Amino acid sequence: MIADIALALPEIFLAVAAMVLLVFGVYAGEKSTRFVATAAIVALAAAIVLVLGRQAATGFGGMFVVDAFGSFAKILILVGTGLAIAMSLGYLRDQGIERFEFPVLLMLSTIGMMIMVSAGDLIALYLGLELQSLAIYVCAAFKRDSTRSTEAGLKYFVLGALSSGMLLYGASLVYGFAGTTSFAGLAQVLQGGGTPIGVLVGLVFIAAGIAFKCSAAPFHMWTPDVYEGAPTPVTSFMAAAPKVAAIALFMRVFLVPFGGMVEEWRQIIVVIAVLSMVLGAFAAIGQSNIKRLMAYSSIGHVGYALIGLAAANQEGVRGVLIYLAIYLAMNVGTFGVILCMRRATGYSEEISDLAGLARTRPGLAAAMAVFMFSLAGVPPLAGFFGKFYVFMAAVNAGLYVLAVIGVVTSVVGAYYYLRIVKLMYFDAPAEPFAANTDRGVGVVTVAAGLFTLFFFVYPAPIVAGAQIAARALLP
Amino acid sequence: MIVQALAFYLFAAVTVAAGFMVIAARNPVHSVLFLILAFFNAAGLFVLLGAEFLAMILVIVYVGAVAVLFLFVVMMLDINFAELREGFLNYLPIGLVIGGILLVELFLVLGAWAIAPEAAKFASTPTPPVEQIANTHAIGQVLYTKYMFAFQVSGLILLVAMIGAIVLTLRVREGVRKQRISVQVSRTREEAVALRKVEPRQGV
Amino acid sequence: MYAAIVFLPLIAAIVAGLFGRFLGDRGSQIVTCGAVITSALLSIVAFFKVVIGHQPTTVMLFDWIVAGDLQIAWALRIDQLTSVMLIVVNVVSAVVHVYSVGYMAEDPHKPRFMAYLSLFTFAMLMLVTADNFVQMYFGWEGVGLASYLLIGFWYERPSANAAAIKAFVVNRVGDFGFALGIFGVYLAFGSVDFATVFKASPDMAGKTFHFLSWDVDIMNTLCLLLFLGAMGKSAQVPLHTWLPDAMEGPTPVSALIHAATMVTAGVFMVARCSPMFEMAPFALNVVAAVGAFTAFFAATIGLVQNDIKRVIAYSTCSQLGYMFFAAGVSAYPVAIFHLFTHAFFKALLFLGAGSVIHAMHHEQDMRHMGGLWSKIRQTYVLMWIGSLALAGVPFFAGYYSKDAILESAFAANSGVGDFAFAMGLAAAVLTAFYSWRLIFMTFHGHPHDHHHFEAAHESPPVMLIPLYVLAAGAVLAGIVFAGMMTGHHWQEFWGSSIYVAENHKVMATFHDVPLWVKLAPVAAGVLGIAVAYWMYIRDRRVPAGLAARNEPLYRFLLNKWYFDELYDWALVRPAMRLGRLLWKGGDGRVIDGLGPDGVSATVIRVTRRVVLLQTGYVYHYAFAMLIGVAAFVTWYFAVGH
Repeated sequence: MIADIALALPEIFLAVAAMVLLVFGVYAGEKSTRFVATAAIVALAAAIVLVLGRQAATGFGGMFVVDAFGSFAKILILVGTGLAIAMSLGYLRDQGIERFEFPVLLMLSTIGMMIMVSAGDLIALYLGLELQSLAIYVCAAFKRDSTRSTEAGLKYFVLGALSSGMLLYGASLVYGFAGTTSFAGLAQVLQGGGTPIGVLVGLVFIAAGIAFKCSAAPFHMWTPDVYEGAPTPVTSFMAAAPKVAAIALFMRVFLVPFGGMVEEWRQIIVVIAVLSMVLGAFAAIGQSNIKRLMAYSSIGHVGYALIGLAAANQEGVRGVLIYLAIYLAMNVGTFGVILCMRRATGYSEEISDLAGLARTRPGLAAAMAVFMFSLAGVPPLAGFFGKFYVFMAAVNAGLYVLAVIGVVTSVVGAYYYLRIVKLMYFDAPAEPFAANTDRGVGVVTVAAGLFTLFFFVYPAPIVAGAQIAARALLP
Repeated sequence: MIVQALAFYLFAAVTVAAGFMVIAARNPVHSVLFLILAFFNAAGLFVLLGAEFLAMILVIVYVGAVAVLFLFVVMMLDINFAELREGFLNYLPIGLVIGGILLVELFLVLGAWAIAPEAAKFASTPTPPVEQIANTHAIGQVLYTKYMFAFQVSGLILLVAMIGAIVLTLRVREGVRKQRISVQVSRTREEAVALRKVEPRQGV
Repeated sequence: MYAAIVFLPLIAAIVAGLFGRFLGDRGSQIVTCGAVITSALLSIVAFFKVVIGHQPTTVMLFDWIVAGDLQIAWALRIDQLTSVMLIVVNVVSAVVHVYSVGYMAEDPHKPRFMAYLSLFTFAMLMLVTADNFVQMYFGWEGVGLASYLLIGFWYERPSANAAAIKAFVVNRVGDFGFALGIFGVYLAFGSVDFATVFKASPDMAGKTFHFLSWDVDIMNTLCLLLFLGAMGKSAQVPLHTWLPDAMEGPTPVSALIHAATMVTAGVFMVARCSPMFEMAPFALNVVAAVGAFTAFFAATIGLVQNDIKRVIAYSTCSQLGYMFFAAGVSAYPVAIFHLFTHAFFKALLFLGAGSVIHAMHHEQDMRHMGGLWSKIRQTYVLMWIGSLALAGVPFFAGYYSKDAILESAFAANSGVGDFAFAMGLAAAVLTAFYSWRLIFMTFHGHPHDHHHFEAAHESPPVMLIPLYVLAAGAVLAGIVFAGMMTGHHWQEFWGSSIYVAENHKVMATFHDVPLWVKLAPVAAGVLGIAVAYWMYIRDRRVPAGLAARNEPLYRFLLNKWYFDELYDWALVRPAMRLGRLLWKGGDGRVIDGLGPDGVSATVIRVTRRVVLLQTGYVYHYAFAMLIGVAAFVTWYFAVGH
């Protein structure tokens, strides 16, 4: 039991920290938000250290798996949450919703994600997913006096409940046909082939549940509305860490317990990936709200990441992990810029407000241009390498059509990313934004920009880390 | 044996029918009542399985607490359900088609039901025979040991739910007068009573 | 220490480049000069440690690219070859940095200039310390970039911009070959590490690969591709055209980049890859032939140029040709030895010319000079030293290296070797001639421009001291190092950094050539000087008369063998025509014609429909999810599984 606890130390530490901060916040009142947020970031950083110190092992009767794959994803998740908290304070203060529960909820959500990527059992998977989602439902509705925010929270909650229902239904079908919920057991039962169709149908439902969480088409419908309605820091959080967690979970579930049925499930993953890429590329063009645009962009990017899953080999897993790391940076950075779109009258979300930004705020425009080029996958920016590794894996796995569709949709997608660059650099300036006063947003945006810009100089740590992680998942 | 079979089909049929009525009833209060009926029948199914603890928990927690709470909420909120249902019929055909297809497919799945032969050895927590151990006891034995992880995570989920409910609903109103007992008790005579000499025909 | 040698200039470049505004002119100059001088001192220490102490080493910095089989690290390979190059690069760079303080005194953009110089130094150091082809390519492109920036430093001048672009574009041709060579190396050897590739080279000798329908020798192909890169960077015919134009840059740049360091990168690369070239006899012959031809060719053009810097530029081109044909006959140590001595005397000549130009208020045409020797005596003496070294007059540095080159060409005892010997000897006469033509036209005779002549003044000490340092090198570098670098025990000096195959005996035999061969270069030099004296001091009508009598030949030389015109006719104009055709016809009619009405309109149409899916109703979304699940399940039932 002690060994089990030691294994889950990062999660336990975070949970205890969250509860301590909660109690502290309740006693200290609303003024403590800044302190609680800082402490939360410190706790997340400490959790990274703890994650790095774990040895690969399985605990809690097989429910909790610690391996390099999980640790890689956990570090990304922790970093994503930390950056999201760091960027949120200014916005929350401006909007009058600076409440200490916010960082605490994000921490609890993070614990849920860490449990997801460490899941070794369908039960643990479901519990992690639910913990993660529940906290985000609340966060989406955090600005409770705004109709849009509450609507976003409610929509996400109702549809999330439906997807959870599907996931549970699928899990029960799998349990009914395979006789076990543990991943190791399932892998053993299903390795021989000749899978009962019940397991396959169950898998479809599970896929639907997870695809909902990472907003892959056709389970993506909530994404644009929720991204638009939720407060911007929440959106920036939703678009980063939970996505990493959901895709990592996707890989763990499909490659470990159901690894023996690759040929069967690849068919639906390919369809999901293609639908996501196409939808992400085309629907984004018609948007005028930048958060909605980022929602479609994230749908498209999930599609690219799923290409790596469809490849179903070590190279693919590595590609997806690299992709996620890069995506995290680009996305956090872009939202940092969006958080800087502030005028005296309030925050702006219209893409047209970016017009002529290069003249009024050249630094901000340059940062945004870097992120847009990177999201579009223009070399030598980081985004190119993310796509490159994934497409390579697909080609090596013989999925030529998928890779070609990926490239074509990237080209279509480049249209709307570059349109923003054009707007910033060539159009007549709109009313300028107020100077950014929040240090958190500034630091995070600059850091993300530098990472995106200079990833190609020294990609070795991330590539090597992803390689080790991929080897841990698919020996 | 036949009695058990009959009881099973009775409970099962009523559960499904009640479940259908939950979404079909016009009056939301009726919906909740049908939900309670479905819970009762599900409890009956648990009893048939010999899981009397779960059956009782279902009745006490779901019927006694959750559903009753639902009932209060539904009765207190003045929602015009007729308006919400507008357009419902438009989508009925397509809903029926999709539902029907899924149903047929699930029947086909069930028709081919067979637990994979390797699965037997994974039934790692075999249900102990009722003669040896009461199932309340059996659940207790594994809940805090084998499933401690799941149990604790469930606790965290409930914590999040609680925080969420408070965050989204608790409002600090200005000017609310609250009883502060310590202040009341610590009042002294000096600050509570003031002697004034009142001149006649002048008032305070 | 080795890392400090390489990265100090980079740090200085970053500091001066980004914070030059805060540091001011003086601050930037101190930072950059200090860093490079420190580097230079450290590289002398490194030289003693590596060469005298026989301790070549490799410093691993960190992994760079790890992608499957492709593993590339940042590492500094410090062997004898590198440490010689370190001395050349850092000493000349330090001298030029200090010189620039004086030369650029009136320029308003000093921090930028100093930052570029330091950046160049860093890139060059990266090139010579590279441990693998990709890192070398990084340095290779880095020096190309710095060269572009420095040639175009005076960006207000259209001619400087044009020259910068020309240098960049012509180099691109060579770099393309170099890049192909690297790809080929990776394909053939599965690695780009020098150590791995060189070790495997002997096994690869003579093997062929199948391309289209031919069987092609691997080593020859790879070496020729690599040599293409060297030709671009080292201005060998026919990729030499950028070097004379590059004289548009400030003179210190010409001394540093276009005389001593960057242009010798090609020679360095051939020497570095000697284990590969040794396995490619055909490629070696090409190297020798191209080098020999360039040596002669550039010298002929140098005869008639009037711009003082262009004369020296063509002489550089010609001297690089010497180095290449030495390498081409497997006398790599001799080539590097000449590179070493040449760096000193050529930088000296350039900086001396810079001093003259400075004295003449940025007048570069020699026809407007004359009689300057009385005005700028120190510069005059220094130019003499440089020219004596260049012409190969005994006991100056050039004498040892140039003699050794001609002797090894003779000793090669092959057709190419004899061709190189003949060309080299002819070029030696021409070299001596144009060097003294330069001196006589600049310093002797009557001043042609009295206004400038009166105002001419000696340069400040900050410019003269560097010249003395270089002059010391030009006098002593040969006599001190000749025995060590090219003597019978050359292998002791170079260790394993240069490889010469067993059957190539030039290094052993060139000491034993007949006496007339040994004396011929000296005689050629003396002859050249004598002719120049006769034509420009004794009888001044001779040059004009010669030019008039041989009008076509004179025009031919003056127009540099019509290479620029040839390129313009064969490449530039057709490319422009093709570009215009594609622009108007291809892009305008076909793509723009189909685009707006075709692809992009379709995209927008699709977008409208997709956006319509997003109604905002929760039950629509729920339906979409259910339909998705139902479709997938149905799919499995339909196709079976």
